[in-house]
Amino acid sequence: MSRVNDVGGQTGFGRLEIERDEPPFSADWEARVYALNAALVRRGVYTLHEFRDAIERMPPQEYLAASYYERWLRAIETLTEGRTGGGTGGGADVRTGGGAGRG
Amino acid sequence: MGESGAVPPRFAPGDRVRARAGDPDGHTRLPRYARGQTGRIVALTGNWPLADDVAAHRPAPRNEPVYTVAFDARALWGEGGHEVTLDLWQSYLEPAAESAAGPAAGEEPV
Repeated sequence: MSRVNDVGGQTGFGRLEIERDEPPFSADWEARVYALNAALVRRGVYTLHEFRDAIERMPPQEYLAASYYERWLRAIETLTEGRTGGGTGGGADVRTGGGAGRG
Repeated sequence: MGESGAVPPRFAPGDRVRARAGDPDGHTRLPRYARGQTGRIVALTGNWPLADDVAAHRPAPRNEPVYTVAFDARALWGEGGHEVTLDLWQSYLEPAAESAAGPAAGEEPV
């Protein structure tokens, strides 16, 4: 399905800004999201293809407004909804603590 | 997943192929810009579970040949003297001769 992520060859998105000496993560919560996704894929909770599909299924207005790792977090929440034991909301909450803001 | 029932290869290096023009349901690894475009098989990379099926959590994903396919950049973008290569599953492709006259019936022109 043609989804909002499929922008190859499209123009009008502006220049790609290349950040010199860019750190791997711009905030601690991004590193946690990265590690959480790797752990969930390796444990077979979902596959990388399911993960990509979940990102692509974001409503276009949310997808375009979200940062790279915000999209990852949204996909993790989508794929783990109802699969976590206890707690509230059922989704992943890795943005507690740290308080380094959004990337 | 998909270890059994591997789909045999339909194409060989050098074959002209056309990426399917239709817009498949759900997840696909065939980018929009390549749909309906004609390219050339560069290499067979082996059989891999079809991403579309894996993303849909189908219990027995099709285990299809994946090819490296080269497209003329000028055909895709209207300019450029280089080739664009994509790794594409077999079901994304059809022989170029089948559709030499244009998109198949029921498919949107791209």
